[in-house]
Amino acid sequence: MRFTSLLFILSQILKWASKFKPAYRSYIGSIHQVKIMIKTADGKRGRLFIFDEGTVSSKSGANHRYDAAIVWSDASTGFKVMASKSDEEQFKAAAAGKMKLDGMAFFAQWFNDGVKLVM
Amino acid sequence: MALINGGHLVGKYLKEVEKIDTVFGISGGHIEAMLDGFTEYKIRTIDVRHEQAAAMMAHATSIYTGKPGVCFLTAGPGFANALTGIANAYLDNAPMVILCGRHPLRDDLKGALQEIKQMDIVKPITKWSATCFDIKRIPEYLSITFRQAVEGRPGPAFLELPPDILSIKVEESLVPMPIRTTRKYTMHPDDDDLKSAAEIINNAKKPLFLGGSGVGLSACSDSFRQFIEKTGIPFVLMNYGRGELPDDHPNSVMDIGSIGLMFGIGQTDVIIAAGIRFNWILQAIVIPPTVKVVRMDIDPHEIDRNRMADAGLVGDIGSVLEQLTPLVQKKDHSEWIKTLKAAGYSVMDYEIRMRETPSDPIHPIRLVSQIQKFVGEDAMYVVDGGDTSYFGLGFSTNQKAGVMAASSGLFGCLGTGIPFGIAAKLARPDKKVVVLNGDGSFGFNAMEFDTMVRHNIPVVCVINNDCAWGMIKHSQELSIGKDRLQCSELGTRHYEKMVEGLGGHGEFVTEDEEIIPALKRAFDSGKPACINVMTDPSVTSPATPLFYQSLKME
Repeated sequence: MRFTSLLFILSQILKWASKFKPAYRSYIGSIHQVKIMIKTADGKRGRLFIFDEGTVSSKSGANHRYDAAIVWSDASTGFKVMASKSDEEQFKAAAAGKMKLDGMAFFAQWFNDGVKLVM
Repeated sequence: MALINGGHLVGKYLKEVEKIDTVFGISGGHIEAMLDGFTEYKIRTIDVRHEQAAAMMAHATSIYTGKPGVCFLTAGPGFANALTGIANAYLDNAPMVILCGRHPLRDDLKGALQEIKQMDIVKPITKWSATCFDIKRIPEYLSITFRQAVEGRPGPAFLELPPDILSIKVEESLVPMPIRTTRKYTMHPDDDDLKSAAEIINNAKKPLFLGGSGVGLSACSDSFRQFIEKTGIPFVLMNYGRGELPDDHPNSVMDIGSIGLMFGIGQTDVIIAAGIRFNWILQAIVIPPTVKVVRMDIDPHEIDRNRMADAGLVGDIGSVLEQLTPLVQKKDHSEWIKTLKAAGYSVMDYEIRMRETPSDPIHPIRLVSQIQKFVGEDAMYVVDGGDTSYFGLGFSTNQKAGVMAASSGLFGCLGTGIPFGIAAKLARPDKKVVVLNGDGSFGFNAMEFDTMVRHNIPVVCVINNDCAWGMIKHSQELSIGKDRLQCSELGTRHYEKMVEGLGGHGEFVTEDEEIIPALKRAFDSGKPACINVMTDPSVTSPATPLFYQSLKME
């Protein structure tokens, strides 16, 4: 539940930043149709973030097509690491096999770097 | 009394002084005497179909053999055709020698055939350039040209030879051949800088060694191995440094790819960057300000370029490592290597799965995996293209310069694949040579299949055919939208038929299970071969958004 809530809050922050935070607006630019999923490995929880021509929108659920996905082994780990806002924690999670990337890995990195601008 | 003409003096110098046995180019009236000099001194000429390819082959030869590759150009269009290859060698710091004809001095400013100011054009894209005006000084000028190409930071050196001196004769005893200098000039880093670098390295908990072309051009396998095995530091080798130690060395983290590297680099505490420029490509791999950087380069201007170094060591990489290794402590970073690799594999999870899974349409990374499976590590790989270069850099090798992607260098020069493949086969005829070409990049030098057929150079070229300029197409999808693509699609073309028409072997592949049998038939044919593989046009490599981001001006 906390993981799902965190994703929802993140979507609201990114939507706000895409309108009111110049650094983030500039960062996402006018890129066309890039879809980033954050989800759990079992596919039970997740949220899709859609970047399209300077806007950010979002859909709940893990069953959407995406360009890149950040896949957490479980919701608890996902929440803990994302809430820590720590690159080191994310690296440790990846090293432990608890976080994997699917699809276009570069976009996942791009997404994460953008989040750093607003958090 | 024996007379010799200027063209023969060129041949004599190349053969007797520099021990050059192969040169690349196209014939031309202005250089006829030089061509005859090649015959006289038994220098093999690889006559190509476009001078761009000759320049690229000479460039590649310098990388594969460790001594300058030589191309010859005729005046005017022959010269102009080679400019792309020369510019690429210049940005790659490749020690090649260009011997070029020109219009006669006698006819200067008279509207002579192919009269243009070649020197003004070539100067910005060569390390050194000159015109020789005196037949007696031809060997001296050639000696300077070769020294300029290799000494200090290497680069292409250009010598213009007018027919007025190539086609006249001189008493041979009046033109002695210079003795090639055997002295090696080594720049020595400052002792304090060496101590400072050693201290940073000795205190590192999570270090990483990034080696570039300077490692390869230094040919420093032994000193590099000693440094790595004493310090225990994990390494990544890029560009012409690739293969200086094999990819399967225990300290190599080559298998985490550029994505794993981008992800992991922020967790390092020390980066040792040797012979590698911090240019736009490397800047995509963001090095946090908290990470200490030790830089080594033969060019002092590179030490603080785009990132101030915490310690800078100027000199030939092999020489610097020889001086640094006694100052560093023996360490074991195996736990760090294990962690870095594990994290890298997690972010590479998709690519690892794609490698192992048959796909329909064929995923380019699966194509690379199947080629690797059949050809193995004891082979030379050349990759050429945009997205194709990204995927092809996943080849693994135990050969020096065994995976080359000249098109992903600073010049981003597509069309390098086939010329590099030809040079690789000539330099190491006992090795299998595979060129992985994009269908777009294949077009630039595809006629060199004729060169391969005429000279019996059996390279196997596999086309990763996505029917498009893939990187541009996918970048346009991001920037201007899928409905407004412009000049980025190519359609299905049977390039293998073209190769068959030239006398080579052709294969057309659409299914995963056909890849390996097609490779077997291609190698068994003993001919230059083209395997045209239709791959998934929707696949975008991570290099594409990187390219897109680099040109985003908002």
